[in-house]
Amino acid sequence: MTAPDTLRRGMPAGAVAGLVGGLISGAALSRVGALPPTASLVRAETAAAGLILHVVIGIVLGGGFGMLVWRQRGGAGETLFWGLTYGGIWWFLGPLTLMPLLLLGFIAWDVHSTQEAFPSLVAYLLYGALTGLTLSILRARRGDLAVHVGAWLRGGFAGGIAAWLVSVDRIPLWLGAAAGVGFAVLYPRALQGAGPGLVRGMVYGFVWWVAGPLTLVPMSQHTPLAWSVAEARAQVVLLPAYLLMGSVLAVAYQWFDGLVTFLFSDTVRGEDEEGVGTEGLRAAVRGAIAGSVGGLLFTAAMARTGFIPVAAGLMGSRSALTGLLVQLVIAVAIGISYALLFRRQSFDVASALGWGVSYGFFWWILGPLTLMPILQGTAPTWKAEEVARAFASLIGLLAYGGGLGVVFHLLEARHNPWWIPQTAAEAARVARHKEQLLSSAPALWALVITIALTLPIVLGV
Amino acid sequence: MLSPLRRDALAGGVAGLIGGAVAGAATLVQGLAATVGGFLGLTPSVTGLLVHGGVSALVGAGFGSLFRYQPGGYAPTVTGGVLYGLLWWIAGPLTLVPVLLGREPAWSIQAASRALPGLIGHLVYGAVTGLCFHLIVTFYLRIRPEPHPRIPLDRPPSHHVIILGGGFGGVSAAQRLSQLFTRNRSTAITLISQSNYLLFTPMLAEVASSGLQAQHISAPVRAALPRVRFLRADVESIDVGARRVLIRAQGARVESLPYDHLLLALGSVPNFFGLPGLETHAFTLKTLQDATRLRNHVIALLEQADVEPDAGRRRHLLTFVVAGGGFAGTEMVAEIFDLVRSVLRYYPHVRRDEARFVLVHSGDRILPELSPELAEYALRRLQVRGIEFLLSSRVAGATADAVLLVDGTRIPTRTAVWTAGNQPHSLLKTLACERNRAGAVIADDTLRVPGLSGVWAVGDCAQVPDVLRDGRPHPPTAQHAIRQGRHAAENVAAAIGGRPARPFRYRALGTLVALGHRTAVAEIRGFKFSGFLAWFIWRTVYLSRLPGLEKKVRVALDWALDLFFPRDIVLTGAPAPTLAEMVGKTAAESQQ
Repeated sequence: MTAPDTLRRGMPAGAVAGLVGGLISGAALSRVGALPPTASLVRAETAAAGLILHVVIGIVLGGGFGMLVWRQRGGAGETLFWGLTYGGIWWFLGPLTLMPLLLLGFIAWDVHSTQEAFPSLVAYLLYGALTGLTLSILRARRGDLAVHVGAWLRGGFAGGIAAWLVSVDRIPLWLGAAAGVGFAVLYPRALQGAGPGLVRGMVYGFVWWVAGPLTLVPMSQHTPLAWSVAEARAQVVLLPAYLLMGSVLAVAYQWFDGLVTFLFSDTVRGEDEEGVGTEGLRAAVRGAIAGSVGGLLFTAAMARTGFIPVAAGLMGSRSALTGLLVQLVIAVAIGISYALLFRRQSFDVASALGWGVSYGFFWWILGPLTLMPILQGTAPTWKAEEVARAFASLIGLLAYGGGLGVVFHLLEARHNPWWIPQTAAEAARVARHKEQLLSSAPALWALVITIALTLPIVLGV
Repeated sequence: MLSPLRRDALAGGVAGLIGGAVAGAATLVQGLAATVGGFLGLTPSVTGLLVHGGVSALVGAGFGSLFRYQPGGYAPTVTGGVLYGLLWWIAGPLTLVPVLLGREPAWSIQAASRALPGLIGHLVYGAVTGLCFHLIVTFYLRIRPEPHPRIPLDRPPSHHVIILGGGFGGVSAAQRLSQLFTRNRSTAITLISQSNYLLFTPMLAEVASSGLQAQHISAPVRAALPRVRFLRADVESIDVGARRVLIRAQGARVESLPYDHLLLALGSVPNFFGLPGLETHAFTLKTLQDATRLRNHVIALLEQADVEPDAGRRRHLLTFVVAGGGFAGTEMVAEIFDLVRSVLRYYPHVRRDEARFVLVHSGDRILPELSPELAEYALRRLQVRGIEFLLSSRVAGATADAVLLVDGTRIPTRTAVWTAGNQPHSLLKTLACERNRAGAVIADDTLRVPGLSGVWAVGDCAQVPDVLRDGRPHPPTAQHAIRQGRHAAENVAAAIGGRPARPFRYRALGTLVALGHRTAVAEIRGFKFSGFLAWFIWRTVYLSRLPGLEKKVRVALDWALDLFFPRDIVLTGAPAPTLAEMVGKTAAESQQ
C-alpha cells in the first residue's frame, strides 16, 4: 500500500471511527461532568458546545489514527490495542499539555493536575478502544465478522477458569467468562506465542478493569461513573486481579486453541523447529543465563529497595547472603520462564526490550503484590498505598525485565537467528512470521510501561 | 550513500534533537526541572541548554540504531519511541542522575512523583522523536532511494570458505564463521568431513568400556551448524594454485569446489611407525567404530574364556595390552580394567586373577604431559588395582596372538591397543609447504600456512608456535584445536574484511585424566587435584564441553543410571554367521 492510500482510505475510515469513539466517550464524560474544561477551549461554557467540541476533536484524532494504523494488520484485537495506546498518548498530549498550554499558558505536568485530569484519561482510553474497534469493523472483510462458536466457548471457559484461579471474591465467574468470550471475539484464532499472549491478556485485563469496576458496574447500579481519582483509587484493589485474570485467560485460551489444533487438525505446526525438548532446553539454559545476568545487574539496585532482607525472610533467615541467594534463584527462575514463554518472539533489541519490560511488569503484579504476601502468610490486599509503596521494586523489575529480554535475545541471536533468512523462500516465511509477531506488539509495550509508571503515581500518592 | 545503520543513527540524532526541543521548550518556559540540565541542577542557562540538546541527540541516535527504520509504518515507530523514552526516564532522572550526583537512586514513589513532569516530558520526547525519526528516514529514502533495497537472497556469494575436517577444530571454526557471517550472505561456508557427526573423543574410552552409548558422544554436524553447507565426502586432492578442492562424495563422482580461504582441520590418524603386524592386529581408538569394535572384542573374549576349559588359554584370552602411556593409553587401560572386572561376575568360569592388564610405555614415567607427582599418583593407583606397567620399553610388533617388545619379550594376548603414535592426515603430504617430522603442516602464529595463499591450519594436523612459550608448538589437544578453530575463523573473517590477522594466544586451562573407579588426576592452572574430586572435575568439565544440549542430557543420564545398574554386555557388533555357513556347519556335524 502506498502513502496516498493511508490518506485516501485510512483517514476517512479513522474519522468515522473517531466520530463513534468521540460520541460515546463524550457522552460518558458529560455524565461525569468533566466536559467543561474541553469546552472552555472555545470559550463556550455550555455542555452541548463542549460535547460538540469533544466529538470534533475525536473525529480529527480519529483521522490521524486511521492514517497511522492503516498499514498495520486489521484484526479486531490488534486495532483495539493500537487504539488504546493512541488514546493514552493523546491524554498526555491533550489534556495535560496542549489544552492547558492553549487555555492557560502553562503545561500541567504535575501530580495534582494529572490527578485532576484522571477522568479524561479514562475517557481517552475509552475513546481509543472504541475508535479502534470501530475501525476494525469498518476494515473487516467478509468472513472476519463470522460467528466462531467454538472459539467463544473456549474463550468463555478460559475466562471462567482465570477468574476462579485468580480470585472469585474480586471477579465473579460470569464476568470472567464474559471477558473470555470477548477475548475470543477479538481473537477468533489465537496468535502464536504464549508470552505475547500473556502480555496481550494483561492489557486486556486492564481494559476490563476500566470497563468493569470504573464504568459498567456503577452504570448498572445507576450511580455516577467511578472515574474520579478518589473512586478509581478505591478500585485499585481490583486492578491486579483483573490484570492477572487477563493474563491467565489469554494463556489458557491459547492453550485450548493449541489443543484443538493438535487434536483435530492435520496441519503440521512447528515443522521448522527442532523439537520441544531440544529447543525448550536450549531456551531454558539461555533464560537461566539471561536471568542471572539480569539479576546480578540489578542486585545492587534491589539491595537499595530493601528486598534482600525480605527475600531472606522468605527462607526464615536474616542473613544478607541468604537473601542474595534467594533473589538470584528468583531471577533465574523468572529468566527460565521468560525463555520458555518468549522464545523465538524477539528479532531485534527493540522487541526484546518490549517483551522483557512487559514481562517485568507482569512479575511485579504477580511477585511483590501477590505472591509475596501469600508467602509471608497473609492474603494480598492490593491496596493503593501498598501498590505505591512497592514502586521501587516495580522499577527494579522493569529494569530487570529489560536486561533479561536483551540478554536472552543476544544469546538467541548467537545460534541460528531465524529472523535472518538464507534463501528467498525462507525470506518470505520470515517476513510473514515477523509481521505476525509484531502486530500490535509495539502498542502493547508502550501501553504497559505507561500504565506501569503512571498509575502508581497518579493513584498512589 | 550512508550505510543503513549510520543513516538510522544520524536520523535518530536529529529526531532526538527535535524531540528534546519540543519536550524541553515547554518545561523550560514553565521553570519545571524536567530538562536534563534541570535534573543535574543546572539553571536554564546556555550550558544547561547545550547539555540538554546534546543528551537528547545522543539518546535519539541510540533510538535510531536500536529500533531501526521499519518500512511498516508510523505506528510502531511512535509507540517504540514512547517505550524508549519512558525507559530513559527510569535510567536517567530516576537512576543515573542521582547516582552521578552521589545520591540514592530515586526509586521511591515520592521521588518518582516529584519526577512526574520528567516522565511526561520523556513520553512526549519519545513520541516526537519516533515520529520525526520515521519522517526523516522516509524523506531521506525518497530523495536517495536505496540502490539495492534488499540484497537478493539468491545472489551467488562472493567469498567461499572451505573447511576440511569435522573434528573439534573444523566444527568450532565453522561455528564461529557462521556467527561472524550471519548477516552477511556474501560469504559461503562449507564444511567437508568423512563423518556427519562431531565425535567427542575424550569420552571414547568410556564407549569402549561400555559405560556410554556410542551415539551419545557424537553430535550431528548438520544440527550444530544450521547455516553452514555440510558435505559428507572424501577429499581427493587440493590444488592450491587454482584454489580448488577435489572431493568425492560417498559413491558419487568427483567434484571440484573453488575456495578463497581453505581451513585444514583434518586431525590425525594412528601412526604405527611401520612396526610389523600392528596395522593388521592392533586396535586403535580414533573413531566410534574403533571404540565399539574394541568393546565387542573384549566382551566376545570374555564369552570365549567362559567356555574355555584350559586355564592357560583363558589367561591368554584375557590378557589386554595397551601400548602408549599418554592420556589415551592410560585412560584406556583403566577403562578396560573396569569393564572386565565389573562384568566378570557374569562369567563364572573365569577367575579374577586370570585377567591381566599391561601397559607398555617407552618413557620412564606415564603421563608425561602431567607433573611427576600426579603421574606417580596415577601409576600407584593403577598398580594397586593390578595393572602391570612396563616402562622404558617399546613395542616391536604384534601377531594375531601376541605382542612383541623390543627387548624380545613376547606377551601372549589377543588384544593389543595402540595409542603410542599419531600422524597427520596423508593428504597434507601433497601440499607444497613446510611440515614437521610427524608430517603436520607448520603454520605461523596467525594460523596461516606460509607459502600457500589463503590456506590456514588448526588442530592436530598443524604445528602452531605458542607465542607465550617462546614459539614452542602447541600440544595437539582438543582444547587447543577448539580455540585454534575459533581463532582461525576470526582471522579468515578479518582477511575477508581487509583487516590484519591477529596471532593466536592461548594458555591451556589444564589437563584431566580419568583413571576409572571414580578417580582421576587433574592439573588446572597449576593446581593439582587427584582422586574423587579430580574425577568429579573431569566429569563436570567434559560434560559441559560435550557438544549439544541433548547429548549432555543423554550422557548425564547414562552416568546417573550407571550408578544403579551394571554395565551392558550385550554383544552387538559380532558378525552373525551367514545361512550358508550355518548349513555347511550342520552338514559337517552330521557327517562326523
